[in-house]
This record gives sequence, structure tokens and C-alpha cells, in this order.
Amino acid sequence: MFAYVVRRIFQMIPTMFGVMLLLFILFNWVGGDPSYILAGKSLSDQMLANIRTQLGLDKSQLEQFLIFVRQVITLDFGTSWSTQQPVSSILAARVGPSVTLTGSIMFVSTTLSVLMASAVAYVRGSLTDRMVTLICTTAMSVSALVYIIAGQYWLAHKFGWFPVIGWSDSLATNFVTYLPLPVLLGVIVSLAPDLRFYRSCFVEEMNHDYVRTARAKGLSEPKIMLKHVMRNALIPVVTSIMMSLPYLLVGALLLETFFSIPGMGREVIMAVDKSDFPVIKAVTIYVALATMVFNLLADVVYKFIDPRVQLK
Amino acid sequence: MKRTRFALAALTALLISGGAFAADMNKVLRVTFNAPETGFDPAKVSDNYSNMVLENIFDPLITYDYLARPAKLIPNTIEAMPTISKDGLVYTFKLKKGIFFADDPAFGGKKRELVAEDYVYSLKRHLDPTVNSQWSFLAEGRFAGADELVAKAGKNALDYNTPIEGLKALDKYTLQITLTAPAFNYSYILAMPAFGAVAREVMEANAANTNAHPVGTGPYTLKEWKPGSKIVLEANPNYRKETFNFAPSKDAVDAGILKALKGKSVPVCGRVEVAIIEEEQPSWLAFVDKQIDVNRISQAALQEALVIDPKNPLNVKLADKYVQQGIQLQRIKDLEVTYTFFNMQDPVVGGEGKEKIALRRAIAMAFPRSETIAAIRRGQAVPVNYIVPEGVAGHNPGFKGAAEFNPAKANALLDQFGYKKGADGWRMQPNGKPLVIEYATGTSAIDKQWNEYWQKAFDSLKIKLTWKYGKWNELSKANHEGKLQMWGLAWGADYPDGENFMMLLYGKNAGDSNSAWFKNAAYDKLFEASLKLPDGSERNKLYDQMNKIAVAQQPWIFGDTRVRSWVAQPYVKGFKVHPILNANYWKFVDIQK
Repeated sequence: MFAYVVRRIFQMIPTMFGVMLLLFILFNWVGGDPSYILAGKSLSDQMLANIRTQLGLDKSQLEQFLIFVRQVITLDFGTSWSTQQPVSSILAARVGPSVTLTGSIMFVSTTLSVLMASAVAYVRGSLTDRMVTLICTTAMSVSALVYIIAGQYWLAHKFGWFPVIGWSDSLATNFVTYLPLPVLLGVIVSLAPDLRFYRSCFVEEMNHDYVRTARAKGLSEPKIMLKHVMRNALIPVVTSIMMSLPYLLVGALLLETFFSIPGMGREVIMAVDKSDFPVIKAVTIYVALATMVFNLLADVVYKFIDPRVQLK
Repeated sequence: MKRTRFALAALTALLISGGAFAADMNKVLRVTFNAPETGFDPAKVSDNYSNMVLENIFDPLITYDYLARPAKLIPNTIEAMPTISKDGLVYTFKLKKGIFFADDPAFGGKKRELVAEDYVYSLKRHLDPTVNSQWSFLAEGRFAGADELVAKAGKNALDYNTPIEGLKALDKYTLQITLTAPAFNYSYILAMPAFGAVAREVMEANAANTNAHPVGTGPYTLKEWKPGSKIVLEANPNYRKETFNFAPSKDAVDAGILKALKGKSVPVCGRVEVAIIEEEQPSWLAFVDKQIDVNRISQAALQEALVIDPKNPLNVKLADKYVQQGIQLQRIKDLEVTYTFFNMQDPVVGGEGKEKIALRRAIAMAFPRSETIAAIRRGQAVPVNYIVPEGVAGHNPGFKGAAEFNPAKANALLDQFGYKKGADGWRMQPNGKPLVIEYATGTSAIDKQWNEYWQKAFDSLKIKLTWKYGKWNELSKANHEGKLQMWGLAWGADYPDGENFMMLLYGKNAGDSNSAWFKNAAYDKLFEASLKLPDGSERNKLYDQMNKIAVAQQPWIFGDTRVRSWVAQPYVKGFKVHPILNANYWKFVDIQK
């Protein structure tokens, strides 16, 4: 397994190079010229030239790309072109709220959906199963924006159960006061698709011969579900979770925007709006890196869930 | 005896330090921005939101009376308004003594007094090629002897130690500014937050990140900054003794303001918290739920918050449920013009030929401005008819410059000047080439609303319209390179003087603030003549002539000026919206819960 992990780590290098190349080409092609934002109301040629020199945009494309390579190797992306703040401190300040929000949503949503999926899979074909499927399909057809707008208006404003907006430096205050409503809405948005996906995983597993054999052996239904079916059904669940984990870093744009949560989602949008390439570069590289690491982790976890899996 | 001596010493120290700390730290004013700020270096930012914070941290030489309308300049860090030489070239300022910067490690633990040299340094920063001041257009070429210094710097930092004739500290408290050309309105420019005093030590100590280290002599200091999310200001303990002592204007609210604030030391509130809330619903609901104290009513909340008279939408009142809660409403007409320009250098829509003017005039006549005011602005705007908007020196309310809405006449005009319809029903140019006009636009929901009206206007003329979509900076770049044909923009007053608007069609500003690339010798000559005159009837005559040229040549289609509605909670005392300064109320208002 060690050799497998080392090999995968080495495979990350060309993948990362590809990501860098693609990002660099895309930014230079459609990213916009930041000098026109930084110049404000004064658009003299001299001013624009000065800004481009200071940002290093007057250097050749090759030189600019090599600077990018160095930044990725050192993980030092310099300062934001827009606000002058060090990119590292911007991301450090933003990643906490995002992970708190999206991590909480993911934890609650995954726990609920796995439990509910196994339950409805167990009674598959019943009225309960059909009703849950119907509700999930209906819920998925409604835009996330509708849940957020309606939830904020009714639950926070009309009923006064939650504050309309807010975020604190205290984690405890956030969990008690400011997080419940955005997490609730986030869970409502993600529960239906998760539930349907996990249900299908469980149903597929329950149709296998080994389940019938287990029943024939006289094992209890809870034991069959928890020991045999759950273990096998967890492989696609783990894959789904591992694929989602890197995006915890990026945050939940709509929830952050509507509830004034200072997370990465808003930062990324601001960076794109202002052609703030250092921030865009840093976020993209970190997400790419996290994706590769979590993919590798998922493979390793498969091995622990099901020892029959061979990592080659 | 010892105790008395100690008390005297403490009192003396307090007086020397200038400290007159009176703010109640338990009083917190909570406001919102609906877009993110950029930073707090006066030379490096020009967005409204950053400026609102600058207003409260830095002190320009001159500021505005809180109550007087129209906006009136008053001394800020100077003893009296500057003396201006008869030729409008030399401005002399006498600084008040005993004004101190907020404490900063760069001062080495000593109190740092504001002196004339600080303004010399601060003004020079707008010329420094390495600073890239967003306000350099208000400083470049203005100060005697500065051009040589800037030329010498090239792309490097300005040599701040080399004295220049135009910016001189005659003594510790006397500043003399000598302009290269007469400018009777320069006091307005010097009242802008961007021209507040910064301390050279602080700027040099934090050269890599001046946006995050604002240290001024204003009423507040920056306590916390999470870019694009939260800004917290706290009262500056070194702020000078200042009491609320303004004369009331004719506005009805002034009596209540005086009753609440007269004689009070400012700043009143010890803390100001700014939440950046970009979405309209949470911004409004947070106000209604008393999480925010003062807010501007967003477009989405207008119908809910106001009772709008359908016959006269500008006649509004607060909805009953908010009146019963005691919420205060204030209305203000922005000092702005919105307009759609034609690129006057473009071979299809530009040029001074009669057929080109006819094409521009026809398009202007086909655009249903009253419909967009009713539908998009929800009636909360007035038509623009003059380059200088109402409330700005030089405005002429009797001038009706906008083209009449009349699609039938517009079509007749096109027919008359040879824009014939082809076999496919679309018009062609007089030379027989296809007539296709490209309109630059963003991609937001509000852009789409505007585009529907433009499409309707062009369809009514049988002119093919295409769209050039782009982010603001991409379109700005394209326009700077002369590659756009039409684009809609807004210009808000940097200062309430007509020159700030008339320059938008000055030939030397083409491709810069003159986005229409309008180059008209007669207009330029009149503009240059107007610069030599103070505000008054003589200058107004020139402005009228310039407006007539703009109407005749039609480089712009006049748009509208928005009317904004502000609300404050009943416990916010002394709130009044200012037409130029957006956040000067922060230091004055009291929170009486």
C-alpha cells in the first residue's frame, strides 16, 4: 500500500501542473484586466502602465507562469491585487467560517441521509418509501435560493426564531446563535439528493445474494443491515463524501451572502469580480490539492472498509 | 498637595495631548454597506464604501456643514476658510494647533501633532507613480513645480524631500498651495476624504499594506477589518474637543437634530460597526429586526417600506407600520447623472456629419426614459436634462436638453437622412452597408432589465442591435481603447461643482473620464474658459453654451438621477443625510435606546 500511496503522490505533480496551466490560460484569456479596477476613476495610459508594471503584468507570459510555479511550490501567493492584504491571511480568515458552516451542513446532512436512506431502503416499495421518494423529488426541484429567501423571511424575520444575519468570533456563539438557521437551510437543500443517492446504494446492496444468504442463515435484520449491507453500501457513500470534502473550503456562496457569514464563497466571488488573480490562484490550487489528497484518502479508506479491495 | 499636583499634571497632559475623549463606548452605531469596501489608504481607494470609512478616520483641511443645504464648505482642521489670491492661484491655510493623530507604533510612543507638512506629504502622495492614486486626476498638473518632480521620478517613488513651489509649509501650521492655473473650486477638492492628512511615518512603516493601517486625526480609528465582511471603528481617544454647533437650515428635521445634539461632544457613539450585506432582503430585514440602526431602502424593499403615490411617485411616505414604530425617513436626490454614450470616434455612430447626428438623435428619441424610471427605478428618479445635476453649482433647472421621446419622428429622421430599410426590413447605413449597433452591457439581472428597453427602442427604429457582454473592467478597457459603440454609465459628484461634470465631455479627457471620446473644439474652448471663473452667472452662461453643443452633437443620451430613501431607527438621534459625504453622520448621531 505504501508504494501505491507514493506513486499516487508523484502522479499529483503532472495533475497539478495541468491545473496551473489551465488556470493561467483561462485567467489571461477571460479574467479581465485588473489595472482598470485599480486605476479607479483615473484611466490615464501612464497610470495603467504603472499598475501593470507593479502587478508584474508587463512581464512575458512565460515569466508570469514561472512566478506562478514558484508561488505554488512555496504556497506563497503574495498579496491580493484588490485589497493589498496577504493572500494567506485572507484565506486563513475566511476558511474557518466556511468550514464551520459547510462542515456542519455536511455532517448533519450525511448522518440524517444515511440513517433515513437505510430505513427507507429497508422498507423499499412500501408507501413510506414511495412518499419519501416523492418528497425528495419535489424538494430537489425547488431552487436553493427559494429555501434560503423563504427560510430567512419566515423563520428569522416573521417568527423571530433566529437572527436575520450575523457572525461572531466566538465558535460557541456561532453554533448557538448564528449557525442554526443557515445549517438548517443547507441541510434541507442537500438532504433530498443525498437521501435518494444513498437509498439507491442501499437498495442495490440489499438485492445481492449475500443478503439472502444471511437471512437464510437466520441473522437478524438489524445485523444484516448494519454489519453486511451498511459496510458495502458505504463505499459509494465514502466516495461521495470524499469528493465533497474539498469543496468545504470553497464555502456555500448563497448562505454566506444571505447570512453575512465571512466565508470563502464571498471571497471567491469578490476575487473573480475584481480580477484578483492571486486570490483566485490560491483558492484554485488549494481546492485542486485537497481534491487530489481526498481522492487518495478515499482509496485508502476503501481498503479499511472492505479488505477485499486491492490498491495497485 | 501631592494629589493636587498629580491632578494638575494629568489635566495639563490631557490638554497638551489634545485629548477630549467624550464618546460613550457603550453606544454602538450599526450600519451596512451593500457592496464590499477596498481598503483605507486615501490615495488608493475611490469607491463609496471605502470613502465612508475614510471620512471618519482622516481629516481633510475643509469639510461640509452637517445641516446646511445646499452643501456648504466649512473649516475642518484649519482656523478659517483659506485665503485665495485674486487670480485663484494661491490658497493659504492656517492649521488649528493641538490636533493629534491617533496613536500608532510608528510614532514611537509620542503624541504626534498634525502639521502643515503632513498635508504637503499627503497631497504629494497623489502624484507618486508608485502609489497609483485613484484621485491623481485631481492633483496631476495642478501644483506649481510638481510636474518636474513627477517626471524626475519616472516609474519610481516620488522624492518627497524635494520641496516644490506648489505645495509648501510656510511654517509649522501654515500651508500654501500654488496652482498652475486658476481654480476657484479647489476648496471643494480639498474637502474630499481622499485629501485627508496621513502621517509619513505611518505610511513608510506600513508601506506594504497601507490599506490596512489607516491612522488619521479623525473621530474614529480602525479597530477591526475583515475585508468584504465587517469593519469596526472605535472613537479616537486623541480626537480634539469638538461640539455639535451647527446652525439649522430650512429643513424640518433640523430642529429635532439641534434639540438632541446641540452642545454635545463628538463623536457621540464610541463604536461603529459596519456589516457588508450585499443581498437586498437580509439588508432590509436586518434593519426591520433592529439588527441595523441606519439603512438605505433597497429597490426590493421600496414597495414594502413606502407608500408611493401612483400619480407622483416622488411623493412618498413611510408605510404606516413603520411610522407607528417611530422609524425616521429621509429622502435625498443623488448628485449624479446617468447617461448612455455614443463613441464619437466610431465610424458608424460617431462623427459630426449630419447623418451621424441624426442617427444618434433618433436613437435618443426612441428610448422610453419615462418607462424605465417607472419600471426599473420604481418612480424614484428624475430625468436628466443638463450635464450638471441639480444640487451642484452650475446646474440650470430651466434647460431641457433631453431628446423628446417620439419613435415616429425618430423614424422619420432616419428616413430623411438616408437610413433606408433593406429587403429584410432592417435599416442600412446611408452608404448602403448594413447598420448594426453594438451595445455594451453587464450580465446582472438589472442589466437584463435595461437591455429589454434598449432592444425595444432599437426594434422600433428597425436598427439591428447586438450586445457586447463583459465585466465592468473588461468593458472599461475596451472603451479606453475606443472599441465600444454605446455603453450606459453613471457619474456621481466627487464635489458639488459643475466642473466635475462638464469635464466629462472635455476633449483632453477622451478615453478617460470622457468616455464618449467627444472632441469638440468649441466645447473645449468654453470649458477652458470656464475653469478661470468662479461659480456664478458668467460661468453658467458658458455651461449653457456647452450644454447646447452637447445637445446638438448628442454624444450622450441623458438618463436619470436617482432619489434615495434612508431610514433610521427611532432611537437614532440627529440623523441627516448629506448630499456629498455619505458617512459624516457617524460621528454626530446619538443612540438613545
